[in-house]
Amino acid sequence: MAVAHAPDSAHAHGDAHGHSGGPQKSVWARGSWVRAIWVSLLFAAVAVGIATAIRAALGFGQVYSSEVAATFGLTFWAIGFTVGIGCFDYWWGYLTGRPDWVEEDHSAHGAYSWRDYFKVNTDHKVIGIQYLVLTFIFFIIGGALAEGVRAELAQPGAQYVSPSMYNGLFSAHATIMIFLFIIPSFAGLGNFVVPLMLGAQDMAFPRLNALSFWLLLPAGIMFLASFMVTPFDAGWTNYAPLSVQGPLGTTFFTIGVQFAGASSIATAVNFLVTIVTMRAPGMSFWRMPLLVWAQLATSSLVVLGTPFIAGSQFMVLYDRVMHTGFFEPTKGGDVVLYQHIFWFYSHPAVYIMMLPGFGIISEVLSVHSRKPIFGYKLIAFSTVAIGVLGFTVWAHHMFVSGMAPWLRIPMMATTMLIAVPTGIKVFSWLATIWRGVLHLTAAMLFALGFLFTFVIGGLSGIFLAVLPVDINVSDTYFVVAHIHYVLFGGSVFTIYAGLYHWFPKMTGRMYDERLGRLHFWFTFIAFNVTFMPMHWLGLQAMPRRVYDYEPRFGDLNLIISIGAFVLGASTLIFLYNVVVSWARGPLAPANPWRALSLEWQVSSPPPIFNFDETPQVVGGPYEYGVPGARHAIVTVHTPEPEVPVPATATLTRPAPGRREAILSSMKRILVVANQTVAGDAVIAAIRRRAGAEPVHVTVVVPQEDPGDAWVVDETAARSAAEARLQQLLAALRDAGIEASGEVVRSDPYDAVLDQVESERPPSEIIISTLPRTRSGWLRRDLVERVRDQTKLPVEHVVVNVPEAETTGQ
Amino acid sequence: MSAHAAAVGTRAETSDVSVYHESLLRSPVFLGMVMFIGSEIMLFASFFTAFFYLRFSHGVYPYGGDFEIPKGPTGINTAILVFSSFTMHWALVSIKHNRRFGLVVGLFLTLLLGLTFLGLQMREYHALGFVPSDGAFPSTFFALTGLHGLHVFVGATLLSIGFLRSVRGLYSSRHHIGLEVTGLYWHFVDVVWILLYTVVYLI
Repeated sequence: MAVAHAPDSAHAHGDAHGHSGGPQKSVWARGSWVRAIWVSLLFAAVAVGIATAIRAALGFGQVYSSEVAATFGLTFWAIGFTVGIGCFDYWWGYLTGRPDWVEEDHSAHGAYSWRDYFKVNTDHKVIGIQYLVLTFIFFIIGGALAEGVRAELAQPGAQYVSPSMYNGLFSAHATIMIFLFIIPSFAGLGNFVVPLMLGAQDMAFPRLNALSFWLLLPAGIMFLASFMVTPFDAGWTNYAPLSVQGPLGTTFFTIGVQFAGASSIATAVNFLVTIVTMRAPGMSFWRMPLLVWAQLATSSLVVLGTPFIAGSQFMVLYDRVMHTGFFEPTKGGDVVLYQHIFWFYSHPAVYIMMLPGFGIISEVLSVHSRKPIFGYKLIAFSTVAIGVLGFTVWAHHMFVSGMAPWLRIPMMATTMLIAVPTGIKVFSWLATIWRGVLHLTAAMLFALGFLFTFVIGGLSGIFLAVLPVDINVSDTYFVVAHIHYVLFGGSVFTIYAGLYHWFPKMTGRMYDERLGRLHFWFTFIAFNVTFMPMHWLGLQAMPRRVYDYEPRFGDLNLIISIGAFVLGASTLIFLYNVVVSWARGPLAPANPWRALSLEWQVSSPPPIFNFDETPQVVGGPYEYGVPGARHAIVTVHTPEPEVPVPATATLTRPAPGRREAILSSMKRILVVANQTVAGDAVIAAIRRRAGAEPVHVTVVVPQEDPGDAWVVDETAARSAAEARLQQLLAALRDAGIEASGEVVRSDPYDAVLDQVESERPPSEIIISTLPRTRSGWLRRDLVERVRDQTKLPVEHVVVNVPEAETTGQ
Repeated sequence: MSAHAAAVGTRAETSDVSVYHESLLRSPVFLGMVMFIGSEIMLFASFFTAFFYLRFSHGVYPYGGDFEIPKGPTGINTAILVFSSFTMHWALVSIKHNRRFGLVVGLFLTLLLGLTFLGLQMREYHALGFVPSDGAFPSTFFALTGLHGLHVFVGATLLSIGFLRSVRGLYSSRHHIGLEVTGLYWHFVDVVWILLYTVVYLI
């Protein structure tokens, strides 16, 4: 479909940045990298100038302070970058009422060449790929930093870097991996997949979506730029007082985190609103794919949790720049306060980094073992339960911090409790693959590998939850092993599984399966060689975050370092596979995995606005191997117009002449219903008759002029009626019953008479309504009047549709 | 392209509030603002956490010294901000009935009252006699009131935009979701201040 669009949209795209088709502005003036550079530098310079001027005016002894300059300079540099690249152009035009401003011309939507990926783009599919590529670059940088750490630790004693540089390496490694790889890469995968899964054309706020992405790059540059001054060295946790007294790079960290956090909050709000308001007709919450459930829970955690890390880093910044006393005991402050506020976000953050992965695993396992997911509702509930419980466990990071002792036992209990919903998921996954037909693709291998490593990580997590054990192994390599088993063996494995699973959909090309499997086995083995021995090191009390260690730990550390280098090298296989397959791989079919969810029902890659017509969802997303089960009806307008989509649903298509004969011999049934037309009782009533003799069903959905009813939008009511009709027709088609139907704009009684007086009158009538108390038709004695007038057999089927979904019938 | 553009264009127009008569929460823009305010509440909560933690773990108040804050004058300032919520409501009711006079004057008064609040707050800062670095209480005091002041500033910016657009006659009883969102945000800023004034100044 994208191909079909290319010629005319390429033209539209040429005009894009003029907005009204005028001559294109120069790169200095329009949203571009050139403008991003000069505007960001200008913003930074002006902000630093104003801050210095205010200090001079207020009579500070020392007018220029590098801390103040860094705070204002970096903040406004990042804002200037997003302004310059063009994130605000549309809104600025709206605010100022610029004469050439257009409400929405979709000029920044979709990618027609590789250059479009380097511009502000509002297409969720383009943004998804932008996210994934950028975060993967950060993954490689973060990985390189980790290799630096391992090189230093390969042998006891000083090797390659200075102690302060070593602190900078592991701090930046964790920061980049957490804030710039794992969290945003799930946002990227979700961005690409979630609107497609919901049957939506895009996210709810496409321009906010673009802004979220472009906030990420300045954050990453800040973390890395701290190496050009003195790198931040307090770890990613940035504990006070270490952070308050730390070098200038710490300011880079505190401000970078704000931008990464703002980016994730904006994306989370976007996901929540998209999931709540933009589901396709029929996509009830219990028909959503589990990845969508996971994004729902994750986004709630981000919206409610992330402000706390913003708060904690603001306080560190205030203590550093304004010398406030939040964490300064001589002024009445308290350092433990920092840990409380920090972990109130950062513990939910580990679920932010894990829940979307759980969602991916549910998709991959079900599709590649050709079985319905086991315990759909329990997996969904446990996702929500983990989200809620996630806010009640933060202080288990602080058992040895000197916090209030009474808090320890409750936190230990809630922490162990969280293993219950996690266990529900793991057992559901095992039951899903139990006796399934496993297709061992690279995606599936990573999903199975995840089950193995994540269970180990989860078990060591239960060890750590137990107070006496935790006090023993706190701040040792046991903790490092645990975090890597859940974040690498957990999150990163799921990201790989998701990338392989959706690679054909994203790029329109298949990856090399052989290389994918090779990548898995290298990664899996090297991962375990790297991180398994860390458990032993931790139990032998090797402290984490140390530059040097006792010689007795030397052998294990050498093994770990070798494992780490092989692990790093295994990523190169993945990179090679992705680059070569993307450029030259075989073209992917629309649905290579024969999956049911909506994203696989459109072409690979999907057309620019995803769906030619809004899909109608009619069932759950995981009914693999269930006869006759359908998830959704998706109409694809193929580029060849000579293959029309039949307006009437028929199972077989006999020759025209014979068809007439067959039709006239069939018993004709008229079905009249509106709100209840797709109800199971209606389908059952039709099937009973179809079982006895050949029938032809005519469905009439009378959609009256709403008049003063509370439905304000008539068009919406009409298209909802149309959707229900299509749902019934699809169900009848699946059952092999001849049926046709239409939505008519008249009173139900008139609609029946029209049919009875037509060329082919029905021999039987089925009228379906809501129960008597809620049915406008019954108040008008519809059934009795039809019986009296037509003298035909009339069956009245009552369907009880929940109150919220009806408008009175 | 054009067929799709038209289809999507229709969707963009349905964010107009009139379609969502029965519940504003069905409007994506309004729902988005509700979620964002949820996030904002948690940001304030992190600073309130610091305030309560430092207050109760040390047992003296105002902790770390003897700091006087003006309850009375700030009470008047509180009344000004609360009153601005009513003028905001008046503006919203007016546009729902297509009365442009009430809209323009209501928004103008709200903006004026908001800026008056900010001005008086700056004056209070100046007259306090202590600065953020004087101790834990000044730290939390300035952080909380400053964060709130920043929100008033953001709200005033939104109000200015709404005011300018309303002067140009760009709103109608059917098209004013931007004002609904601004109104919600302004009420949120107001409610936070009432809580802040009660907790920090009065108790």
